[in-house]
Amino acid sequence: MNLPWFKRIGIFFIPTAIIGWLILLGGLAYAVYVFIDIDSRSHSVSDTLINFVFNLLIIGAVYSLIAYLTIRSAKT
Amino acid sequence: MENFEDILTKMTRPEVTHLKHQDMLANAITKAKDKSVINWWWLSIPLYLIATLLMKTIFMPQSTLRLNIHDFTSREIYSSVLFFLVLPILFIVINFISIRNIYFLSGSPKSISFLRTAWFNVLMVIFSILILIIYSL
Repeated sequence: MNLPWFKRIGIFFIPTAIIGWLILLGGLAYAVYVFIDIDSRSHSVSDTLINFVFNLLIIGAVYSLIAYLTIRSAKT
Repeated sequence: MENFEDILTKMTRPEVTHLKHQDMLANAITKAKDKSVINWWWLSIPLYLIATLLMKTIFMPQSTLRLNIHDFTSREIYSSVLFFLVLPILFIVINFISIRNIYFLSGSPKSISFLRTAWFNVLMVIFSILILIIYSL
């Protein structure tokens, strides 16, 4: 597959290829699913947000790891 | 022989407009920045946990940060070791290697002004040490 899938702007990795966009959309979809799941089990707004932010950071960290590993094109 | 002298006088020092070590330095700086960004994302998890435990300490006057961290580490043994011990140590090593590479490729400058190039890596080392200190409380 053709690399790179992402480019770095500041502390964010922006997709540059279709597969990069698919990974980003997958991450966002999972984040929404996690939010709904936490919200259904939590007792207050702060309870939802505290647990959701933790999960969001983990999703962001995994996404950035994937982006970091695929940011460079193979040496020719 | 005169011709040779003319050639010698016309000769100038060879000009190398593009040095290989400049490419190496630029590459090292780019890699160090990419690494420091990923370190930031992974360090934000333990930093967030510390922030939540700190808020818990503030809003529950009878508890202390030390007590809350001990409570958390006893409940989440593997994740606490990963986030508060393994990741900070790993990131300290990675960032030291990146800073060292930039230092040597910059020509080992006497002043620490070269750290302006790698300030985010230095910040990540400071955060990692801070996490380790709080974890060892």
